[in-house]
Amino acid sequence: MALDIKKFQARFVEEARDHVTRLGAGLDALERDASDRENINTLFRSAHTIKGSSRMLKLIPITDTAHQLEEVLGALREGSLTYTSEVGRLLYRGVDGLSALVQRLAEGGELPAADAALCNALALAAKAESVPIAVAPTSPPESGAEQEISSPKTVAPAPSPLPLSATELKLKASDTVRVKMNKLDELIKLMGEVISSHARSHQRLLDIREIERMDFKAADAAETDKIPLKTHLHRFALTLRDDVLAQELLMNELHSKALIMRMLPLSIVFDPVGRMVRELADSIGKDVECIVSGSDIELDRQLIDKLSDPVLHLLRNAVDHGIETPAARQAAGKFERGRITLTARQDGGWVVIEIADNGGGIPIETIREKALRKGFIAEEKAEALSEQEIIDLIFLPGFSTSPIITDISGRGVGMDVVKRCIVDDLQGTISVETRPGAGTAFALRLPLSLALMRVLLVEVGGIAFGFSAQYVAELLRVQQSEILNVAERRAVIIRNEFVTVMALEDMLRIPPQHIRSSPQSYKHKGLLLLVVSVSNEKLALIIDNLLDECDKVIKPLPEHMRHLTLVSGMVTTGKNELVDILHAPALLEMAHHARGETLVHRDIDAGTESAPLRVLVVDDSINTREIEKDVLEAHGYRVTLAEDGLDGLRKAQLGEFDAVLTDVEMPHMDGFTLTERLRREDKYRDKPIIIITSRNKEEDRRRGILVGADAYIVKGDFDQSNLVDILRNLLG
Amino acid sequence: MHILVVDDDSLACEMTAAVVESVGHQTLLAENAIEAMEKLDAAPDIALVISDMNMPLVSGIEFFRELRSQGLTLPFILLTGDNPDGLLQQEPALDGCMIKDFSMEETLPRMIAEVMARYPR
Repeated sequence: MALDIKKFQARFVEEARDHVTRLGAGLDALERDASDRENINTLFRSAHTIKGSSRMLKLIPITDTAHQLEEVLGALREGSLTYTSEVGRLLYRGVDGLSALVQRLAEGGELPAADAALCNALALAAKAESVPIAVAPTSPPESGAEQEISSPKTVAPAPSPLPLSATELKLKASDTVRVKMNKLDELIKLMGEVISSHARSHQRLLDIREIERMDFKAADAAETDKIPLKTHLHRFALTLRDDVLAQELLMNELHSKALIMRMLPLSIVFDPVGRMVRELADSIGKDVECIVSGSDIELDRQLIDKLSDPVLHLLRNAVDHGIETPAARQAAGKFERGRITLTARQDGGWVVIEIADNGGGIPIETIREKALRKGFIAEEKAEALSEQEIIDLIFLPGFSTSPIITDISGRGVGMDVVKRCIVDDLQGTISVETRPGAGTAFALRLPLSLALMRVLLVEVGGIAFGFSAQYVAELLRVQQSEILNVAERRAVIIRNEFVTVMALEDMLRIPPQHIRSSPQSYKHKGLLLLVVSVSNEKLALIIDNLLDECDKVIKPLPEHMRHLTLVSGMVTTGKNELVDILHAPALLEMAHHARGETLVHRDIDAGTESAPLRVLVVDDSINTREIEKDVLEAHGYRVTLAEDGLDGLRKAQLGEFDAVLTDVEMPHMDGFTLTERLRREDKYRDKPIIIITSRNKEEDRRRGILVGADAYIVKGDFDQSNLVDILRNLLG
Repeated sequence: MHILVVDDDSLACEMTAAVVESVGHQTLLAENAIEAMEKLDAAPDIALVISDMNMPLVSGIEFFRELRSQGLTLPFILLTGDNPDGLLQQEPALDGCMIKDFSMEETLPRMIAEVMARYPR
């Protein structure tokens, strides 16, 4: 009987991948604690196992590499070799080489010969009493060492003869899923329950037929049956209700069990990352370590599949733009080795993935200049943009900050694609935090699964619409009188924050013939506002009615309707009607445009008779800042924004402002302190300072006057003419 | 009659078993010496043990010596991922010792036949 041992190859690939992952994690641990004998043992075993099974399958390059790796680990275990960071680097290269070979095997390619330079270096390290200084990369200046053994070309045998290029760095998610036997058994057991519940439905059908027949009987021979028809029907309804409830439980369980099978651990995306970051960093002469955590969190495979590209891109950026060169780091008083952390954590029904580096941070001024040069923003606007707004510019298509276009990143096709993928495809959000000199962190918030989403169904102009719950911040009812008129649009104050109000009906241009609900009814109760929020930016939508809140399967739009940006999908209601799910980010975008248009008009109206007066607006709420800015700009002021008291103080000291507007409650420094501090500056001793707050307390008002504010406006009384009048009076 | 295959690497274990089965033997699998002992107790018709050398806790040689010290005289073939010569010197009482590699498909059945011939039933 012929035996085809090759059929074990697919399994070898899967298991070797597991071992390579374990080796990687073990080397990370070794770096932290080289004395952990148990860890060295585990590492040794993994290398040994790969060697053993690869030899049986005649995968000689893998056997050879694993063998040399095992030798070094054996020497470490026996103590004939002491762990140093050089040994660590060599081991990493060994594991990376192994991983590349396994990957090659998985892709079905011919295995190239084992990397002789790498194997020699490992062999020397294993035999030598001391670390082979001459062979391993030791000295911090990378260049010399790189030519010897650490060139990425030799470590990762790439299919093309070119050295490692960014396009080859693609993560592979396997197209099969390994499902635990017990998970499958549970599902099958549940299917059994479903079948027996179906049998009960059959019984109910027989029951109702019986009642139907009884009806005839009762009509024929009256009074023979003592129980009236109504009672029969009532009993039937009760049993049917029980059945439906039981079935619902069963369905829910079945659904969640089936969904779990689609879940894959993030390790599929995260595991190869360490190696890639090291190789990338090497290829551009940087020294970077990569720390990964949270890779055991599971996500729907649809998300996992799409996640690798954006995560990779962000990592590439972190290596290329984020981390400085060793020399620059040294000059800045940092460790020469940069650090990139990739972490995932669960947050309710969300997973937050953070990619952070401890590099130089995003250069705000460079981006501002570049945006100006490339015409992304107008000159008069560039000054007024807040830091956050500047950072958001990197997500624009065609924006790239690298002075030279490199192979790895900086081609300017990345960040917009990343954003589109996260926000549009994966229904998530992306946010950036950066500190000059200290680094940058990108946070991706993703739903656990796209299959089932919490949906809020609302009614506007007699038509039902859905919102996926991740964008819904709150639902509230306000009186018509609480709506303020600010800069040609409506706004409402929600907990110390101005939020723009728009009628959904107008935004969607619902024709009036659809409107059935009587306007009188809601005038009576006030306005129902649905507040949607997309990465801190809010918009309050006037709706007529809340219909339902439920978990629904959101179906994608058919191909020919994909261009409708406002609609992200559809759900089916219990009555078998299709309801559009509105895409909140698109609505916000729309609100921006509506605002932009009116502003352009106002700018022209205001004209430029004299140099515009400059106003600093300090508020920790982006929504409030925006609205105040719009009001002031509409009246011809030039506005600079600050995010809190400290930021305000810094900007005030650096710039020249004719007036300062500030909120009271803010992180880092409150408005009272800011006012007090500004009064101590020569520049601002006599400049108008206006405090705008939601706190309507007499003692606050007095405190405001005490610290030297010229005016104290309570947000509730706020309307634009009020603010502008006060400013005009103060500025003379 | 069964042949007991012991290897902590389940993939290697199954590959070895596949080779053994390809020449018409039935196999039992164990992933360490302790489990192998239990299998030996439970199944009296085991006629041969094929064990890997390098296993955690109890190595292949230690397992062999343990069997002998308990008076079990079953034929025993030791497999190893490394060079087998040193091992035979270390334990000359082994019935056979060979490297696990791609040629096992031919060498292992041959060795099984040789060893079994030495132990008349």
